[in-house]
Amino acid sequence: MNKKTNSMMVVMLVAALILSACGTAANASSSTSVSSISSQINGAGSTFALPVYSDWTYTYQSVNPSVTLNYQGIGSGGGKKGIIDNTLDFAGSDAVLSAEEYAAGKDLQMYPTLAGAVVPIYNIEGVSQILVLDGVVLAGIYNATITKWNDPAIAALNPGVSLPDASITAVHRSDGSGTTEIFTNALSAFSADWKANVGASTSVEWPVDKAGTGIGGKGNQGVAAAVQNTPDSIGYVELSYAIANNITFADMINKAGNKVTASADTLASAMNDFAGSFTDQLTNTIVDGPGATSWPIAGYTYLILHTSSMTDCTKAKNLLDFFKWALTDPTAAKHAADLGYSVLPDAVRTQVLAKMGEVTCNGTTVLSNP
Amino acid sequence: MERSKSVVNRRQTAAWLKRIRLLLHYGDRPWNVLTIGMAVLVILLMLSIGILLWVDSGQARSILGLGFLKPTSNASWNPVSGNFQAWPFIYGTLATSLVSLILAVPISLGVAVFLAELCPEWLRLPLGWLFELLAAIPSVVYGLWGIFVFLPGVVEPVGSFLSSTLGSVPGLSLFFHGPIPGSGASLLAASLVLSIMITPTIAAIARDVFLAVPVTQREASLALGATRWETIWKVLIPYGLSGILGAVILGLGRALGETMAVTMVVGNSTGGSLSLMRPGYTMSSIIANEFAEAVTVLHSQALIEIGLILFIMTLVLNILARLLVWRVGRGMPKEARA
Repeated sequence: MNKKTNSMMVVMLVAALILSACGTAANASSSTSVSSISSQINGAGSTFALPVYSDWTYTYQSVNPSVTLNYQGIGSGGGKKGIIDNTLDFAGSDAVLSAEEYAAGKDLQMYPTLAGAVVPIYNIEGVSQILVLDGVVLAGIYNATITKWNDPAIAALNPGVSLPDASITAVHRSDGSGTTEIFTNALSAFSADWKANVGASTSVEWPVDKAGTGIGGKGNQGVAAAVQNTPDSIGYVELSYAIANNITFADMINKAGNKVTASADTLASAMNDFAGSFTDQLTNTIVDGPGATSWPIAGYTYLILHTSSMTDCTKAKNLLDFFKWALTDPTAAKHAADLGYSVLPDAVRTQVLAKMGEVTCNGTTVLSNP
Repeated sequence: MERSKSVVNRRQTAAWLKRIRLLLHYGDRPWNVLTIGMAVLVILLMLSIGILLWVDSGQARSILGLGFLKPTSNASWNPVSGNFQAWPFIYGTLATSLVSLILAVPISLGVAVFLAELCPEWLRLPLGWLFELLAAIPSVVYGLWGIFVFLPGVVEPVGSFLSSTLGSVPGLSLFFHGPIPGSGASLLAASLVLSIMITPTIAAIARDVFLAVPVTQREASLALGATRWETIWKVLIPYGLSGILGAVILGLGRALGETMAVTMVVGNSTGGSLSLMRPGYTMSSIIANEFAEAVTVLHSQALIEIGLILFIMTLVLNILARLLVWRVGRGMPKEARA
């Protein structure tokens, strides 16, 4: 064996040793951290819910200082993957789990925790009044079948507003998001055409892109900036974002035929409309509700937990106590409303708490009185 | 007793010192092993990234097949129905990188020649610093500046002008037909922002290449009666050609992979128009945009496959560029090769 191959062998050996050492070290550290700091609870997922979850985990420090919660907005997809792989204690998701994901995660359960509204924002030259839209018009605009602002369908909803003869640029989210899922869910409810040809998801194939009149913006701020910079454009953002940035948003005519403005109250009305129609998995869409004051473009964000395979019972109790506090405490509700979200109305909350009461740890119920 | 103990101690210390000295003296071997190990680690890392991308996109590759890569004017990217074609993103990445290179290379060479040859001595250093500072600006800042200043102020008027002139020329109209959106977000905007971002990279390296040209070469040329312009054009640039090509490759690498600034200005439309005036999409942008919230397996795998294509594309382009540099460098004196 000559010198060169000899040293190469040594190198390979060293590299292999380093790699294997890294592997074992990582495993060891993760298992010790789980057992030694049991009060550290890790969650991640939906960015839609991030502002509220961050606020809640921070506020909860003063309620129960011994519990540390940590929530990261890595996206619903990442959250679902994390809870299935058992790398998270809880996950946040705007999208519901698929049948395969339920099978892979074995004992997963979804719980709605909050609802958020999505609002249309616009920038039309020469129009300062608050615009009124309805579902058919909104779907028509994003379907590229309504292409001018002075279209008779829009004019009929806005008497007294002088709408220009200008082409509509439709702005949508370029990044996958729960906001888009809620918005496209609503468009699917408004228009059978949309439901058949486009559908609803965190990102979809926009007909306006095909028609050449669509623009994608990244995040709420990207959409808002594109609408602000593009004359005669329309877009959609979360109500919380519009409130925080003082952006004027359009009113909608809801299913009952009434003009409604997005707010915590109209959001709660939408939730009440569908309180009796939850699936066994406790999921539901709340778009286009029939109530007199229901905001039509709304959606739940969910918490995902393992219902029977949690083994650290102190941690499980801390986790459920936190979410019980979040769902019932008036301070938590007020903070959520300030951020433009709405907590669950009574009719929904009782069902969610009842389901949380079914969670067991090593065979015993975790919440004593849900 | 006391005394003998201290003697033993002293002897032990001396023995230790000797051992350390020996280790340092014969340190070549361990040092070699260490450096080779580091080099091997880099190769392993590269391989593992490639393998990971290949394995994690397996399902998408078998379901979507070669149709995923097919150039088509009516490409589909539909997460709801699970229909994915990557052509608009491949086109967007290639088009924006190419156009930005075409714009940036002459400008950077001009800057480099000025800094290395024509600039007064006292201005050289501060100007060089300023230019290097441009390269240090985070890309998200370029994106923000693009959205609020550059796009409405420069790109939109330029785009309107181009689409109204070149947009009706047969042949060119395919790449220049308008209208450009009012916000300016388009493939053109991405190309222009990219060209600004890669100019300092190319210019800084090209300047160093010019500065490395031996003074004797310049003096010889001038002594033969060449003008300054002839010296630059016929001596400096041919002498440094392989180094300049290397600089261009680095710029291309940055343009291909740039994500944040491009995502913010490219318009993010999967419409798949070939025109530079229309909103488009790039490979890195679609991954950055959709990966976090890709809820179906096929969707995330299709995104990973795009990552794989980008990985292979960068690799192939780099190899081709290396070959080019090598070919050009063969006819050069040894110290001029990059």
